[in-house]
Amino acid sequence: MPTDPTQMAQVAHDMSLWGLFWQAHIVVKLVMVGLVGASVWCWAIIIDKTLLFSRTRRSMDRFEEVFWSGQSLEELYRSLAERPNTGLAALFVAAMREWKRSFEGGGRSVASLSQRIDKVLDVTIQREVERLDSKLLVLASIGSAGPYIGLFGTVWGIMTSFTAIAASKNTSLAVVAPGIAEALFATAIGLFAAIPAVLAYNKLQSEVSRAQSRLEGFADEFSAILSRQIDERIAHAA
Amino acid sequence: MRWKPKATEPGIVLSGVAHAAILAAGLFAFTSQAPFPDAQEGIPVEVITDNQLSEMTKGERDAKQPQPNPKPRAERVAEQVERREAGEAKVDAPAPPRRPAEMKTDDKPVEAAQIPTPPAPPTRPDLEAERRAADAKAAEAKAAEAKAAEAKAAEAKAAQAAAERAETRAKAAAEAKAAAEAEAREEAELARKEAARQEAAREAAAKARAEAKAKADAEAKAKAEAEARAVAEARAKQEAEARREAKAAAEAKARAEVKAKAEAEARAQRQAAVADKFDAGSIQQMLQSKERSQSSGSTGSEVNKTAALGTATGASQRLNPSQRDALIGILQEQLHKCWIVPVALQSSPNPPVPSVRIRLNQDGTLAAEPAVTNASGDPLFQVAADSATRAARRCAPLRIPAQFTPFYQDWKDLRVNFNLRDRV
Repeated sequence: MPTDPTQMAQVAHDMSLWGLFWQAHIVVKLVMVGLVGASVWCWAIIIDKTLLFSRTRRSMDRFEEVFWSGQSLEELYRSLAERPNTGLAALFVAAMREWKRSFEGGGRSVASLSQRIDKVLDVTIQREVERLDSKLLVLASIGSAGPYIGLFGTVWGIMTSFTAIAASKNTSLAVVAPGIAEALFATAIGLFAAIPAVLAYNKLQSEVSRAQSRLEGFADEFSAILSRQIDERIAHAA
Repeated sequence: MRWKPKATEPGIVLSGVAHAAILAAGLFAFTSQAPFPDAQEGIPVEVITDNQLSEMTKGERDAKQPQPNPKPRAERVAEQVERREAGEAKVDAPAPPRRPAEMKTDDKPVEAAQIPTPPAPPTRPDLEAERRAADAKAAEAKAAEAKAAEAKAAEAKAAQAAAERAETRAKAAAEAKAAAEAEAREEAELARKEAARQEAAREAAAKARAEAKAKADAEAKAKAEAEARAVAEARAKQEAEARREAKAAAEAKARAEVKAKAEAEARAQRQAAVADKFDAGSIQQMLQSKERSQSSGSTGSEVNKTAALGTATGASQRLNPSQRDALIGILQEQLHKCWIVPVALQSSPNPPVPSVRIRLNQDGTLAAEPAVTNASGDPLFQVAADSATRAARRCAPLRIPAQFTPFYQDWKDLRVNFNLRDRV
């Protein structure tokens, strides 16, 4: 934001972008500044989330490749357990940890292990989805409230310009137009912030639900594998 | 605690940079708005149909015959073709000619405005008035003299009275002093000598005062006399002056009269000269400045003295429905009378109906050969068609009542169905 006073003086035309902002009422100015801030924030979220989702998708692809490559689960667990994991790896590590703990004590608590593993997987899925989902509500809020905030600025600006008209007792278009133009500028900024927010919210939300279904699918598959192993071990032990 | 951008979340930095860039671009791109181009006024164009055009070229009712190229009637060529806005005067009236300063005219106010008035002579009072004024002054002077004399007498009288009054006052004072003396004598004998001295001094003072008063009175009298004399002298001087002035005024007036007479003579001579001079330009200008008489005939771009009946193709009034029915009835009656129906057609249960196009001149004669416009596979059709065209040819010229003549456009091209069933 150019707040340098020399630049301001230089660009202080009547109808320039900066002129429109600078001549506005203080309330309208606040609205405009707030909306620009909202736009900055919402784009920050969009960029971050896009990067996060692409990273998550890539890591999921990589993990699935490794998981179905026939590598031993023990080895995989050992290689993953040391570092923080996200996505499918987090699910895998959580379930394996539960498995390991149950068999470390000599296999006494094997009876309801399958249920416990399901619970652990559910919790992990929830945590992962929450991580993906966070801050998307901000986008939704900006998308729905931005135009209203801008409209508030516009209404306020038009109100003040009309009172100015009433004071000057002159209704020629040249007198009326600048005030209305600067008032409408607030709505323009509101729409500028809201439209990308709405579009991005819809896009990111669909990505979240896709990732969630993928996590759930993997969790079901993995729990099926583990319960088969448990049953086999129980039969073996018996 | 400072916020540090994380490598995995560069969103806020990127977004801030992008917004700053957009704002900077906006500052450069929207520094000035291009104003709207000036609105150009549309030219009203009226679209008229061929029919309307031919109606406009309609001629006059009383013309002898239609013309191929009818033109609006004009008796002489217009000197200039001018197209003006509605509401403006038809012609520019030139300004009326300027009247020379020496022109002799009847109307006084105009003359007063036109001819510069000679500088007014310096105003001098009337001779008689002057004389009267002098008389009045003399009378005034006399009255003043009389008044002065009266005043003198009054002053003298007043002085006498004052003297008397002073004497009486002195006497009264003396008496009062005497009384006081007696009283003093009665009251204190010790202070008698002093009192006597004081008395003497007081008496002397009173005497001196009375003397001074008398002297002042006398002086005042003398002064008043002198004043009256001076006033009388001034009056006399004024009188003499007034007389002299009156004389001078009379002389000047006589001189001015002579001069005015000479000027008037000179002006009359100049006016006569102007009146004798013939100024064709000014006469023409004068004539042009008047509105032309309205009965100068119609004008056009070229002279056309024949009244046109309009073109043969110019449409004019149309037949109204009842007129149309009447005309169709008349024509059908004539045509069916002329139609000799072939026997084969008469006996046919479903006779074919040929449609014949008949083009007519204004007098009812055929302008072209009648032609059959429809066709049919019926073997009887050719017979019927031939009989119909024959009937049309035989009937020519068709009798068309005079009241339908103005509607020639409507009936010049007819299409008649020769239907056996219509035949009465």
